Amino acid sequence: MTQPTQAAWPAMLNKVPEVTIAFWVIKILSTTVGETGADYLAVNVGLGSSATTGIMAALLAAALITQIQMRRYVPWIYWLTVVLVSIVGTQITDALTDGLGVSLYASTSVFAVMLAAVFAVWYGVERTLSIHTIVTTRRELFYWTAILITFALGTAAGDLATEALGLGFTVGVFAFGGLIALIWVTYAIGANPVLTFWLAYILTRPLGASIGDLLSQAREYGGAGLGTVYTSLAFLVVIALLVAFANTGQRQRPMSKTA
Amino acid sequence: MKLSRIAVAIALTVAAAGAVPALLTGIPLTSVAQAATPSKLGDLSKFRKIVVDTKALVDKGDLPGAKTRIKDLETSWDEAEPSLKPRAAADWHTVDKAIDQALAALRANKPEASQCGQALTDLLRLMDEPPRP
Repeated sequence: MTQPTQAAWPAMLNKVPEVTIAFWVIKILSTTVGETGADYLAVNVGLGSSATTGIMAALLAAALITQIQMRRYVPWIYWLTVVLVSIVGTQITDALTDGLGVSLYASTSVFAVMLAAVFAVWYGVERTLSIHTIVTTRRELFYWTAILITFALGTAAGDLATEALGLGFTVGVFAFGGLIALIWVTYAIGANPVLTFWLAYILTRPLGASIGDLLSQAREYGGAGLGTVYTSLAFLVVIALLVAFANTGQRQRPMSKTA
Repeated sequence: MKLSRIAVAIALTVAAAGAVPALLTGIPLTSVAQAATPSKLGDLSKFRKIVVDTKALVDKGDLPGAKTRIKDLETSWDEAEPSLKPRAAADWHTVDKAIDQALAALRANKPEASQCGQALTDLLRLMDEPPRP
């Protein structure tokens, strides 16, 4: 492949990380922190759910603006944005369900349609859904919109499984983990990589919530009894270590560091 | 290679999360639900005790004390939601709504002892015997 001549104002490098083992582990842990952290703020700090949602939405807006202004993938701001998207995506579904009484069947269907619509527009405008070429602000806005909806959809679908199927967190870990493993198998034998990535991404939301419940819930209910505070803190430490030390970056040419 | 690393990541995460509570508790995970109680939600006695305490305070005329005590119910009930709700979602919502009404009665600007007492009585009845369709 021939190297295009560098423009005076160099194009942005891919703004999002490659999909590695560390990517999935951090993603699942962020999801858990989103859920347990939001619960902790709403219940224990006594801020109430609407104040918590307002604060978190403001923090997300600030993080997202910072992330979008970066010209390449910067791990700490990218993953901070994911954690905040996780919290706000969960709160959107909770507000619809608990506040407005929207049924989980309705919210699950509507979020699924919205996500499909985002992908349709994204593909229509860009002719690609590749997460390896998130190199313009417009593509990045499509990317984060899709991610926010996957969290809302994952929350609604996970809650629906709890309500309609009586799926507890112990079974949930194996059910959602099994579904993700199944998606990986279809990917390995040649299914569409974009579709399988996003399906797995949606399912990591209920998987992360189940894992968080398993660790935080009391022993009398079959959990590990760590409580939400220690579970969140432990996961935050692991996230920080992985973001700091694991290779979650994209492959980049050494010379592009100055870009 | 990327694919195998994803698989290993998922497998490790799932295995670790599944193994931890089983090791820590050392008891079958399903045994808790089979308490000798009419409620499909399982043993609600620790929540019931808070309601009984709160009701006693209301009967004594100590509404501020009752308001303080019922906060324990709100916190512990919310904390246990992921465990209790999957057992019987409809029953859980019935009790949850009754708790909300008791909280609202006790946290009103001018709480009335009769309304608080009634809300707590209703709550106790639902905890003991959720309505059957």
